[in-house]
Amino acid sequence: MLIQEELDIQEKLKILSDAAKYDVSCSSSGIARKGKKGTIGNTLAAGICHSFAADGRCISLLKILFTNQCIFDCRYCVNRRSNDVVRTAFTPEEVCTLTIEFYRRNYIEGLFLSSGILHSPDYTMEQIYQTLVRLRNEYRFNGYIHVKAIPGAAPELIERVGFLADRMSVNLELPTAEGLSRLAPGKTREKILTPMRQVQRGIAAQNLKALNDFGGHANRKQRGLIDPRERSVGLTNAWQDFSHHRRETIHTDIRSWESGPAGFGKNGAAKGREIGMADTIAHPGRNVWSSLQMTNQRSFVPAGQSTQLIVGATPESDYHMIRVAEALYQNYDLKRVFYSAFVRVNDDSMLPSLPGGPPLLREHRLYQADWLLRFYGFGAEELLSEERPNFNILLDPKCDWALRHLEQFPVEVNRADYGTLLRVPGLGVKSARRIVAARRSGALDFPDLKKMGVVLKRAMYFLTCSGRTMMPFSLNENYITSQLVGAEHKKIWDIENHDSYRQLSLFDDYQIVAPVSGEDRVSAVTGLL
Amino acid sequence: MIRESVGEEKMTVFVCGQGIEDIWCGIYDAWMSRLGHKNVRLEPEGRNRELFCEYREVTVEDWKAEKVTESIRRKLSEELYEVVYRAALSEDRDRADKIYRFLIYAFALGTGVVERLQIPAVYEVFRMNRYLSREYSHIIEFARFSQMEEGILLGRIKPNNDLLSLVAVHFADRLSGENWILYDCGRKKAAVHQANQGWMIVYADSAEWQERLNKKTDEESYECLWKTFHTAIAIAQRANLKCQQNMLPLRFRPYMTEFVVPNYSVKPNL
Repeated sequence: MLIQEELDIQEKLKILSDAAKYDVSCSSSGIARKGKKGTIGNTLAAGICHSFAADGRCISLLKILFTNQCIFDCRYCVNRRSNDVVRTAFTPEEVCTLTIEFYRRNYIEGLFLSSGILHSPDYTMEQIYQTLVRLRNEYRFNGYIHVKAIPGAAPELIERVGFLADRMSVNLELPTAEGLSRLAPGKTREKILTPMRQVQRGIAAQNLKALNDFGGHANRKQRGLIDPRERSVGLTNAWQDFSHHRRETIHTDIRSWESGPAGFGKNGAAKGREIGMADTIAHPGRNVWSSLQMTNQRSFVPAGQSTQLIVGATPESDYHMIRVAEALYQNYDLKRVFYSAFVRVNDDSMLPSLPGGPPLLREHRLYQADWLLRFYGFGAEELLSEERPNFNILLDPKCDWALRHLEQFPVEVNRADYGTLLRVPGLGVKSARRIVAARRSGALDFPDLKKMGVVLKRAMYFLTCSGRTMMPFSLNENYITSQLVGAEHKKIWDIENHDSYRQLSLFDDYQIVAPVSGEDRVSAVTGLL
Repeated sequence: MIRESVGEEKMTVFVCGQGIEDIWCGIYDAWMSRLGHKNVRLEPEGRNRELFCEYREVTVEDWKAEKVTESIRRKLSEELYEVVYRAALSEDRDRADKIYRFLIYAFALGTGVVERLQIPAVYEVFRMNRYLSREYSHIIEFARFSQMEEGILLGRIKPNNDLLSLVAVHFADRLSGENWILYDCGRKKAAVHQANQGWMIVYADSAEWQERLNKKTDEESYECLWKTFHTAIAIAQRANLKCQQNMLPLRFRPYMTEFVVPNYSVKPNL
């Protein structure tokens, strides 16, 4: 391994950003924080993308590795121990200067710091912590910071980092434990899930505190995300059940938290921090939080945590992937699960060869399904099943679902509730909200829908306005499918689905029915004509 | 065009400028003329004149603008005022008349009018707002600063809508401790921010300003680092220039560090 200490910053940046690029997450969303006198930076809840790279992915954060030296040998990873690449590391100073100077020029929204595992997980996490302390306290940086929680690092280190960062993530990488042990021998499922659980509990404990301080509303606001299932029920009711349920689970969590080695305030990590956001009002008399109140500092991972799954490195189906994603959203309160189409950077016999390049379409379909899970009230079971484990290549998951449930359509725009509207292809969260708001004062027609951002090309087959469809058509699965799939894909689709809708033609041959002869059977097996 | 007069009064056209004050005053004059909403129209300067119309020039007075804005804020809401204000910053040449039509509905129906997109007058204002807010988010994403002498940051933008003041609010919060100038190349005006103080809009079309804006910036090192990063972060196997262009339209690129071809005297070795 070639370790270069004396590289200039340009070279280092080139190597360490190149090594970090396979991490997908680059979002700067989830937390709105005003600027503060004496500091530089603020954050917006929606996040800001500052540029787009030649691969069309957004550049929001300065995404770099602290070092690309690594003790692990994960087969899919470009930085694995056995690869012969130039190794280098930033100093905390360099990371801080780059972040601040890029930020001042409005190149970036903040820092995304990840790292290879140098010496040990603890050592690496400590390095990251030192960098963040410097960036927040010396350089007075108030912008967005996303860091990796290193699997296997000591819980108190992760906790300390969590109070400086906005978002933390641990990459699950492979959806199954066996896939992980095959391709990433240094990692185990438990090692990855432990910090994830810790961060989740830290956030939950903090939310409980806010709940106690302000009453329910503050908590919901702060948390920002409600489980999609709860969202689809009436919000008020869902909220009451939800907070009740929360209190129960969190109380038990806190007990274990107190007794565990990672108790808040057992170390003096949080003391003397000055940049803290004073948005959590101290509330004396709750012993779990006493140490926190004294220091009056930042909140713990306020923008939540995320993770990443590699798509196509192991033979898992789409169904498997979204089941894992759904479980992560439900059990670990993740803000996002990112999907990364596998790029074959290492020539390894354990890795699949991908002659067609990275499985980008599959990744795209998974993202579409992910949105359906988070914002549209769908469950993984509704989209796929053991029998149909993969997404349709030609149709997005929502159209695909709608076509399999034509009995629920068409939907009347002027009467259907919000949840039903959300399930109509071509309608999104914004347009459904606009419809619900606008129809209170008068019936809507198709031209109105178009103005509200409804994609009529898809939605027209599933909607009626005052009882009328946009144009006459037969509510027939094959017909609608062929219309939706569009001209360019129609041929492929027709080949794969023989009994689909066909245009009548004078010279069509499909009515000629000849019995299958013995000769045909033989040629079908041998392939000879 | 020949109008058949069916006992109705003729159209009176109020001609007003493009500035935000002009628009408020135009609305005031048209409204207070008491000629009836269907008999008045607001038009920008420089249009071809129609026959059988009476043309009146709008005079700009502070009190008129204040009366309009005050009654929107007081009788309707602050929120609705923001909607109208943003529409007045739009690039739409007919925005004055569109806002006028919108206000007729707003005063008749109350603040709930913003949701009634099936009304064409409401939709027009909604559309202008939507375009403006989309461009606003592009500008705060893609604006780039470079450092001049004495550490002053200079950024250039060229938005279609007149959203310099909105963008300045964003950067004043974000870079409160910096001295910066954000220059709108199209309208030749600049937002000037002083560290830990406020900001103001100045009209920067004088020769003195132009000279100041064209001073060389001392930026090679960080621009170079940023370009290095921008190139290195892309995954070659996923190259998709079309997607990049959808997300980052070409019209923003002349003002963005990473897309400007460098004219450095000394090529930095990458």
